[in-house]
Amino acid sequence: MMVEKKKTTTKKTETKKQDTKKEAPVKQEAKKQAPAPAAKTVAAPGVTTKPEDARIGVFICHCGTNIAGSMDIPAVQEYAKTLPHVAYVDNYKYMCSMPGQTVINKAIKDNKLTGVVVAACSPRLHEPTFRTATKEGGLNPFRFEMANIREQNSWVHMHDREGSTDKAKDAIRIAVAKAALLQDLFPKTVPVEKAAMVVGAGVAGMQAALDLAAAGIKTYLIESTPSIGGRMSQLDKTFPTLDCSQCILTPKMVDVGRSQNIELLTYSEVDNVEGYIGNFDVTIRKKARGVLTPTEAEARGIVGGGCNGCGDCEAVCPVIKPNVFEVGMKPRKAIYINHPQVVPLIYTIDFDSCIKCGLCVTACGPEKKAIDLESKDEFMKVKVGTAILATGYDIFPIEKKEEWGYKRFENVITSLEFERLICASGPTGGYPVRPSDGEKPKRVAFVLCAGSRDNTGIGKPYCSRFCCMYSLKHAHQIVEKMPGCIPYIFYMDIRSFGKAYEEFYYRIQDEGAKFIRGRVANILEDPKTKNLHVYADDTLLDRPVDMEVDMVVLAAAIQPAADTERTRRLFGVSCTGDGWLQEAHPKLNPCGTTTAGVFLAGVCQGPKDIPDTVASAEGAASAASIPIHKGEVELEPYFATCIEERCAGCGMCVNLCPYTALSLVEKEGRQVMQVTEAKCKGCGTCGGFCPGGAIWMNHFATPQIVAQIDAFLLGGEQ
Amino acid sequence: MAKSKGYPEALEKKLHDQRYYREDSTPDFTKRVEDKSRTIAHMCFQCGTCTGSCPSAPRSTYRIRKFMRRAVLGLESEALNDPDLWLCTTCYSCTDRCPRDIAPTDVIMAMRNMAFTHDIIPVNFLKTVTAIYSSGHGVPNNDVNRAARERLGLTRDPPTTHMYPEYMPGIRKILDHYHLKENADRIIKEREG
Ligand SMILES: Cc1cc2nc3c(=O)[nH]c(=O)nc-3n(C[C@H](O)[C@H](O)[C@H](O)COP(=O)(O)OP(=O)(O)OC[C@H]3O[C@@H](n4cnc5c(N)ncnc54)[C@H](O)[C@@H]3O)c2cc1C
Ligand code: SF4
Ligand code: SF4
Ligand code: SF4
Ligand code: SF4
Repeated sequence: MMVEKKKTTTKKTETKKQDTKKEAPVKQEAKKQAPAPAAKTVAAPGVTTKPEDARIGVFICHCGTNIAGSMDIPAVQEYAKTLPHVAYVDNYKYMCSMPGQTVINKAIKDNKLTGVVVAACSPRLHEPTFRTATKEGGLNPFRFEMANIREQNSWVHMHDREGSTDKAKDAIRIAVAKAALLQDLFPKTVPVEKAAMVVGAGVAGMQAALDLAAAGIKTYLIESTPSIGGRMSQLDKTFPTLDCSQCILTPKMVDVGRSQNIELLTYSEVDNVEGYIGNFDVTIRKKARGVLTPTEAEARGIVGGGCNGCGDCEAVCPVIKPNVFEVGMKPRKAIYINHPQVVPLIYTIDFDSCIKCGLCVTACGPEKKAIDLESKDEFMKVKVGTAILATGYDIFPIEKKEEWGYKRFENVITSLEFERLICASGPTGGYPVRPSDGEKPKRVAFVLCAGSRDNTGIGKPYCSRFCCMYSLKHAHQIVEKMPGCIPYIFYMDIRSFGKAYEEFYYRIQDEGAKFIRGRVANILEDPKTKNLHVYADDTLLDRPVDMEVDMVVLAAAIQPAADTERTRRLFGVSCTGDGWLQEAHPKLNPCGTTTAGVFLAGVCQGPKDIPDTVASAEGAASAASIPIHKGEVELEPYFATCIEERCAGCGMCVNLCPYTALSLVEKEGRQVMQVTEAKCKGCGTCGGFCPGGAIWMNHFATPQIVAQIDAFLLGGEQ
Repeated sequence: MAKSKGYPEALEKKLHDQRYYREDSTPDFTKRVEDKSRTIAHMCFQCGTCTGSCPSAPRSTYRIRKFMRRAVLGLESEALNDPDLWLCTTCYSCTDRCPRDIAPTDVIMAMRNMAFTHDIIPVNFLKTVTAIYSSGHGVPNNDVNRAARERLGLTRDPPTTHMYPEYMPGIRKILDHYHLKENADRIIKEREG
């Protein structure tokens, strides 16, 4: 591989050398330009070192054996010494450690370095670390450049020692070329709006909002459905302690409704997001609800009016629809609340099914005047400093796994349906019955990993993480509430890893649940009795089973909530292949995202039970409150600057900028482009485009990038 | 190949089962099975969906999951010598449902191929070879079938080599290329005299 590369390199070099002559003047010119904008944007003198005076220190990290195990570090070090501008080279076992940083710090002072190159891991991991070290050595932190020789080299070329050694040399040569041209840069600080936003009001969003509110921060809590509580409000009891879900959740819901610092916006969605950390401008769509809250009524001059939750309207509404909260197992009207304990206790009209007969308006009466059949979506704009996404999850449509017969066989239900059936406030008063005939089941089979841990492309490859535990809980509830009924749990592994979870497993087995280690292969229905035959392999006995049961409960996989994709795009948050939102670092920054100021809480980041969800919500709230309490944030100084002498005022860049950061202004009698630095994300669209070369991209300036390319293609000769 | 379930033989088998399996393992067996079957046999996590789906399992001692386990562990001689290897109907139910997206059916086919190179094969399979060689069919048409077909308004013979015997030389050429017929004849002769 390397031989091949060398060949192409030399070949290119010949042709390239001629090109370089041609291009040389351009490059020189660009270099001359460099100080001009720099001097304008920064106050400190001597911000740029003349390239010929550059003294670069190169520090090569072993990363234990992560890097040193796959390449010849002494060879790389010797090579680095031969590079132009390099004044000092050293290596160390862990550059990021305190002693490693001291090596950098000391070398800068002793050797009067003007720039630092660390050849180590990814800048995503340690750029901040080494910037700090550079600063402590007395240099501007932006005089630092990182050469990635781990993720993009030693890890992927683990078995090619020679190749990875050569690649490391290339990477260092390129980094040195840029480091020689780096300038001092000074991050701007901007004030942070003392308000936050939480999107999604499940237990994660509620907890995050309560914490932020308790920290004295004004918090907008946006929930797309008419009431708060999320999935947890649909649950009966919660493992492993078996507290009643409503009993522990309802007080929190009430607190959210009451908190002075929380502005609760239910039946609302985020419609648009602009801005950046500290200053997000968020447009919220308040969906047409058809019913006024007391505050809204007062605003319309209806004193003492608005919905008080009496339910008179519901009684007269002639339209009947399935209640989604009860997973379709109970009816509701076109004007509805999900259940009596909803927060806020305000009715909602489902305009997709409302026939506008007006009966509810009459029933509501002339005092309250709470119903407005002509209400429209409304938009409001708020400014927040930070935001937390807590959009939770949906149940995977398990009918897609046809072998288990969901939606074909009446007595095959999902675990969420079971939660409602076993819940005292649910459609059957807490006593599960067979959907086919209303009889009490005597034998219930639980199918674990239904659609999870599935690599067929139909289900989900991940473990949904709480279905083992809630199925144990369901088995317990059967034993407790339905004497004589036996729960059979078909499982591959019981994942009871949390605190007091294994003990819970022990308890349920002791209570009489039967465990069969085998994934259910298929389910067939006896058309007469509507009983179900569950086929599996009892892998421990090495014998196939055909078990006849009255009811089957599928522990269906979960997936990101439907609107997650749209919402994450608004906030510029990335996601994994499965659609779960991507944290900044899985271990060291689980609540942050790569968008500064946006954080994640709860299941939207990946399957989590309630204890983990609440922990992550408190983490996110704490992280989101830090910039707000600090009052100001530093913006990376990677913005564009206009070299006014070269700007022709054509204005073409203005329309290209995806962040509307550019405008044309009148200066000394002519039009020139101007950058709003706080809005510029440094994407480089304008810089790459400007036909006159009038746009200087800080830290990614054209001469810097050209120097990198030259260093690679010309192998160090410049 | 145990034929009787008499006590001493059953005990002998049990004792065999109790040995550490490492003894018989041939690590490259997994790789050879994968090369032939073109499926990721080593990814089996023993969930049992295959055996649970298998129409053969409730009617016999055949356990497809056990063969998958042997593939994972490289237990070549145990897999190839187990007479159950020949009880798969190739219905592909297991392949349809395996959550790891493995094709257990193809693993069985690969193992059968490998067993055949050691002359391990039941005689009825060889007779199928002979039948295909002479008629192009594993199960040739017969008079009962012909009558049934007529009743259903079909031609007495299906539009296969039965109707077009001129294609038989081509089929024989393929079988000869793989020495199938030759080997089948030889083994049948050895077994049945
Ligand atoms: C059958 C079953 C039983 C369970 N039992 C237990 C148990 O016993 N113990 C336990 O610890 N865990 C249990 N869990 C897990 C528990 O449900 C979750 O841990 C918890 O609900 C996660 O909360 P969340 O706030 O992250 O997500 P969710 O509860 O899903 O809340 C997300 C909220 O965001 C809203 N939303 C979604 N998208 C948007 C958007 N774009 N804009 C605005 N709002 C949006 C949703 O309407 C919802 O209100 C169970 C789960 C199931 C399925
Ligand atoms: S939690 Fe248990 S049932 Fe759910 S996917 Fe994971 S292993 Fe399967
Ligand atoms: S660099 Fe990108 S964001 Fe900045 S002004 Fe240019 S186009 Fe706009
Ligand atoms: S279904 Fe697939 S993963 Fe499961 S035991 Fe069979 S081969 Fe292995
Ligand atoms: S293909 Fe073979 S092993 Fe698989 S289910 Fe059918 S008979 Fe059983």
